[in-house]
Amino acid sequence: MTTEPIHLEVRSITKSFYGVAAIDSVDFDLRGGEIHGLLGENGAGKSTLCSVLSGLYRPDSGSVSIDGHELQFRSPQDAASAGIGMVYQHFRLVDSFTVAQNIVLGLRKGQRPKSIRQVETMVSDLADEYGLHVDPTAPIWQLSVGEQQRVEILKQLFRGAKILILDEPTAVLAPQETDRLFEAVETMVAKEHAVVLVSHKMAETMANTDRITVLQRGRNAGSVRTGDTGPADVARMMFGDAKAAERTTIAGPDEVGDPVLTLSNVSVLADKGMTAVDDVSLTVRRGEVVGIAGVAGNGQRELQEAIAGLRPTTSGTIDINGTDCTSTGPKGTMRAGLAYVPEDRLGVGLAPGLPLEHNIALKNHDRAPHSRKGILSTSSIEETTNRLVEDFDVRGNRKGMRVSLMSGGNLQKAILARELTEAHDVLLAAAPTRGLDMAAAAAVRTHIINERADDRGVLVFSEDLDEVIHMSDVVLVMFKGRIVGRFVRDEIDVDRIGLLMTGSQDEEAPADASEASIVLADRVDNERPAAETPPSTIAGAAS
Amino acid sequence: MTSLIRVEPRGHAGSWVRFGVPALALLFALALGGGILAIAGNNPFEAYRTMFDASLNGWSAMSRTLALATPLILTGLAAAVAFQMRVYNIGGEGQLYLGAIAASWVGLYLPETTPMVLMLGAMLIAGALAGAFWALLAAIPKAYFNADEIITTLMLNFVALSLMNYLIFGSQSFWRDPRRPVPGGKRLPENAILPSLSGRLHFGIIIAVVAAVVLWWILRRTSWGFQIRTIGDSPRAASYAGMSVKLKTLGVLAVSGALAAIAGVSEVSGVSKGLEPRAIATEIGFTGIIIAVVARSNPLGVVPVAVFLAAIATAGSRLQSIGIAVEVVFLLQGLIFLTVTAGEFFVSNRVRFERTAEAEQPGDSSPTTELPAGAT
Repeated sequence: MTTEPIHLEVRSITKSFYGVAAIDSVDFDLRGGEIHGLLGENGAGKSTLCSVLSGLYRPDSGSVSIDGHELQFRSPQDAASAGIGMVYQHFRLVDSFTVAQNIVLGLRKGQRPKSIRQVETMVSDLADEYGLHVDPTAPIWQLSVGEQQRVEILKQLFRGAKILILDEPTAVLAPQETDRLFEAVETMVAKEHAVVLVSHKMAETMANTDRITVLQRGRNAGSVRTGDTGPADVARMMFGDAKAAERTTIAGPDEVGDPVLTLSNVSVLADKGMTAVDDVSLTVRRGEVVGIAGVAGNGQRELQEAIAGLRPTTSGTIDINGTDCTSTGPKGTMRAGLAYVPEDRLGVGLAPGLPLEHNIALKNHDRAPHSRKGILSTSSIEETTNRLVEDFDVRGNRKGMRVSLMSGGNLQKAILARELTEAHDVLLAAAPTRGLDMAAAAAVRTHIINERADDRGVLVFSEDLDEVIHMSDVVLVMFKGRIVGRFVRDEIDVDRIGLLMTGSQDEEAPADASEASIVLADRVDNERPAAETPPSTIAGAAS
Repeated sequence: MTSLIRVEPRGHAGSWVRFGVPALALLFALALGGGILAIAGNNPFEAYRTMFDASLNGWSAMSRTLALATPLILTGLAAAVAFQMRVYNIGGEGQLYLGAIAASWVGLYLPETTPMVLMLGAMLIAGALAGAFWALLAAIPKAYFNADEIITTLMLNFVALSLMNYLIFGSQSFWRDPRRPVPGGKRLPENAILPSLSGRLHFGIIIAVVAAVVLWWILRRTSWGFQIRTIGDSPRAASYAGMSVKLKTLGVLAVSGALAAIAGVSEVSGVSKGLEPRAIATEIGFTGIIIAVVARSNPLGVVPVAVFLAAIATAGSRLQSIGIAVEVVFLLQGLIFLTVTAGEFFVSNRVRFERTAEAEQPGDSSPTTELPAGAT
């Protein structure tokens, strides 16, 4: 055993919040040279365990030891000096600083080289060694999400981390970037580092890990060798039974109706005045789910906000169910029949500091039965809340409690409950399952897909390509503010979507790609029963 | 083995926490103040006894305190309603002057034969409108050009003070009494004076308490209040839900200005009985801000806080009679606000002492978003 370079042992760690154990007597074992997947639902205790390992939380009881020495972490610095580094899903980088500056940020005098040039050289060497290429002199704001992640990893390696904890590292990456990440992870493991991969994604975990530890409701449901097991077994460990892991199988739409959402040549500016959405045209019809795939930051948020009436357009028109909603504001789009599940749950979709009842009544508080002549009916609001909590299985609420204390899955269910029970014809959903565990994500997807059966139209934005493909009848790919590709169900080419998402369409799919898409669109149109309606235009691909 | 102090955010504070913590904070401040009095060579028990007798013990003491509390409740409400929407109206002082100016104009202008109810009603409305107008001077730039209301409302205080001083000291205005050798305002006719309830205590206290209850009701039970609270919590969620943040900014500042102005009406009609700048400009508007902070912007909390503050102020003058400096009163006030606002930490967080093998816990100011995921 002495040949093992590093050996982390966690023995019966318990950590409670509000008297509830988030992790309960969890054992965990990690060795240098392995990729260890950490799987579990939201609230299963993954992030709590990671926070204990990275020194952010201190356990109520239990021990953490490295190579047989028991350690007490009083702060993340202690964990760092023991060789544990954490890469968070949401990066901790200073945008206006350079890569090198960020990497030494927080290191004391003795811990860092004297000159930034030295740091830059060291970072370059480290980057070459691990295949994490990034320009050490570039400011963070100029980097893509994938590059920023590399900076986070380099930061930990620079500090001598032997154990790297990657929290949902692929959540924000395009497929190609994901591949590069795992190549780098392989390099680290080859150099006897240990990598913990925290994930919600079964396929990715099965494909890239040596061992898997599953947490279920704060307890260790078991650690297994990845090669000795299959997805069904792991899912059973996560949920206790196989039922929850069943995926909704979706048949294609029987019939597509009239357009409920039509965008014609819409352009929108970003906050900083740059064009974020560039001449986008698309149509969503009744009984159809249109998915927009794309790496975050390619104009999706601005487009969502423009459709919802929260952001002005600079050109083009937005039509919701026959009403011109180009400049009616959010109230107008709501009236026209738009339900909107925004990307940012807390802060946009919900008022975080207010109780659930308030948030359930957020949009219809000024109408009967919730209010008459401007006077609220608290009993009506309470009744509705109780009913929706029941119908949508929203858990974790206590009376008067601020909603921000509920878990992500329950928050999303609460938003869906509010949006879907209000009369509407089209649902706009942005990143609807981001950060949710499998069961909650499946529930959310089912709600969204049921919209189609109710003869409504759905426009869904997601960074999770699997999800987009899984749910959508039509997949549009968005890159740099334009729609650069359109695929209908059964014609979906994952590799090409991935390429289009990263903007490398020209290399891999030459000039005829755009023509192909148009041909595809025409053909689709002929197949459709509602052939008289205009085809979903592909604005970006035409150029 | 050392003891471990563990701090965790509280999901929801029970009422015993919300009321018990400030009460304990108050006792703590009194104990500290007592210690300081003792060090200064005074008998703290005698001092507190004197203060209690002067301000709260018996009806006449109580009525003095309540008279002083009347305008403080109103300016406290003015600050509180704006704070509910996280709009910071620092201009209560100036809005109060405008209320006093407008109300005294109405009182002097309307015939003396006007029935009292009409007269007082007209003064209240005129005062409230003037205060709302003064607040809108800051609200419009805030709503449409995002001008910082803290600066604009604060600056407008000085404009209002200069205006009031000009009317009485700098000109032969309609408000100034030409017969008085020392510049001063014309005395309001009897029908323009708020009826006295007992000694200095006048009808204004009833207006103030009713205003507190009505404001609480509006904030909790109307869709306007619902929207104000939503915007206060998350302007982005409010916009998302189709609420107009601009219009609400105008509305909430107008209401805030009107409430502060009613304090001015109450002072000019119930206390100074004429536009007397020296009697009116006593920082009632600024004190209202402190009251709103301590009362956590809850209109029903404003009333006891204002009364308590008034009680300490009333007691101040009596302390001198037993040889204790008035400054002790300010010291006590400061201590109380310090402990009560610090106590807020214990309302929103749970602190536990435990014995483990470790010392204090540095990582516990962790983002609250981490907690629910682990907690549910």
